[in-house]
Amino acid sequence: MGCFTFYIFNRKGRCQYYHEWQRLKPVRQGAGSQEEDFKLMFGLFWSMRALATALDPKNPNKQQMGAPQRIGEGCNFYSFKTSSYKLHFLESPTGLKFVLTTDPSVGSMQEQLQHIYAAMFVELVVKNPLYTPGEAFLFEPFSAALNKYMRTLGLLS
Amino acid sequence: MQLQDHLPLQLHLHEPGLHSRPVMPARGAGRECAESCMDYLTLELVHHYRDAQQGPSLQAALDAVGERVGRQLAERYARDRPPLTEPLEAMKWLCKEFWGEVFRKPVDNLRTNHRGTFVLRDTQFRWLWRLAQNQMPPQLGLSLPPAVPKTELAADYLVLPCAIVRGALAQLGLDCSVAADAASLPQVDFTVVLAGGGTGGAGAAARGAR
Amino acid sequence: METINAEIFTLTYGSMVRQLIADYEDVEEVNKQLDKMGFSMGQRLVDEFLAKSKTQRCSDFREAAEKIAKQGFKMFLNCQATVAGWNAEGTECSLILEDNPLTDFVELPEQLQGLKYSNLLCGVIRGALEMVNMDVECTFVRDVLQGDEVYEMRLKLLSSSPESYPFKDDD
Repeated sequence: MGCFTFYIFNRKGRCQYYHEWQRLKPVRQGAGSQEEDFKLMFGLFWSMRALATALDPKNPNKQQMGAPQRIGEGCNFYSFKTSSYKLHFLESPTGLKFVLTTDPSVGSMQEQLQHIYAAMFVELVVKNPLYTPGEAFLFEPFSAALNKYMRTLGLLS
Repeated sequence: MQLQDHLPLQLHLHEPGLHSRPVMPARGAGRECAESCMDYLTLELVHHYRDAQQGPSLQAALDAVGERVGRQLAERYARDRPPLTEPLEAMKWLCKEFWGEVFRKPVDNLRTNHRGTFVLRDTQFRWLWRLAQNQMPPQLGLSLPPAVPKTELAADYLVLPCAIVRGALAQLGLDCSVAADAASLPQVDFTVVLAGGGTGGAGAAARGAR
Repeated sequence: METINAEIFTLTYGSMVRQLIADYEDVEEVNKQLDKMGFSMGQRLVDEFLAKSKTQRCSDFREAAEKIAKQGFKMFLNCQATVAGWNAEGTECSLILEDNPLTDFVELPEQLQGLKYSNLLCGVIRGALEMVNMDVECTFVRDVLQGDEVYEMRLKLLSSSPESYPFKDDD
């Protein structure tokens, strides 16, 4: 079993979609509530990008910490790994954020997140007439496709 | 649907030799665009008329929009073929060639009672295969909302395709009503009922229209 | 991208415009409705464009205009636009179309000379750019249907905002 949780956030920081395959430590013992979990998650990758950009040793135009940025400016942040899990991250220029947590042994998931964006989110969510852009959704075809894809990747048995 | 119970004949559209004509005439030739253009446009058409504060109802507006499109497309697609003289021939052409162009694959199954009623079954209706209910509960932690019947979910989105089909048949000289049943989405059954029981035949009327 | 015969799209669009003219009986209002419908379409369509073109960054107006012209029109309408007429500040430019599939079967009668037949395109561009935090104005300034040589949309950047943290700090 390789994947744990999956989130999609909209550009206003709202969690539009959440799925958990495996969460041994319930949210109650972590962030407290699901709402709080979403907010912590959002704050985490928000800060990661800001910090990473501020600490960038390469870019001569580096920004002050906390300076407002446009999406895609500064450093894109892809993933981080802890002793117990790895977090993979993809942000679209429209501010959609895709987050996948997996076992730490899993390699880069950038292409896979891009595939979820292009082939599943666009096709089964954006083009579903009953989807309202920006709002939370739970569409069976999208969830089914996501599960199937995770199985194809060997992250789900 | 009661009607289906007494439809004695099944015509399988995949029988060989039935449709040997080339699908497209030369005009408008070659130009292609992304299928998504049509997806976004039809979606927006429904949303526009659903939300409009004034003007015609969604049903009335999309009936008119679709009927014109159906007529124009049928005129183009049928231009280079001999007139279809029997209603059955016209229906077969609609199911195979017209459907194939507009809805991207032929109708899977056509049935008729030979008294002017036809049921066209598309098991994967291309325009609505992505339609799914949003089952997100209003608040986290609440249980899933009850399932809304697919017929209801699909109703607004079927007005345009029904009107296109009606327009296409009208262009071939067949006045009819068209209703769609989406209870088993993505399968959609279109029921075509010819005015006057289809006794007039397409030929006379079609020749009149040309 | 899956493609279809463009005439299905073109004729549906034409029939829709006709319906709007009947509904509103005022070409200015029709122009406005076309732009509004396009705006909603653009808001959805932009993700398909970005996802399928694998665009990771869309922060520069100049780049965005080029992308729309070269890749956007190509991906959806299978035609290309050119970008021209930049102002000195780099906040205004024109998208020029020599070929516009929307107007394939169209001739405007006398009484509809004020109609911006393809105004949907302006709305789409506006909606798509709004989703990447660029507020723009977009209007047709030349139109073959009105007797011009080419189609020209004038694109003007009004504001471009950075992403802001959506929550209050003490939230």
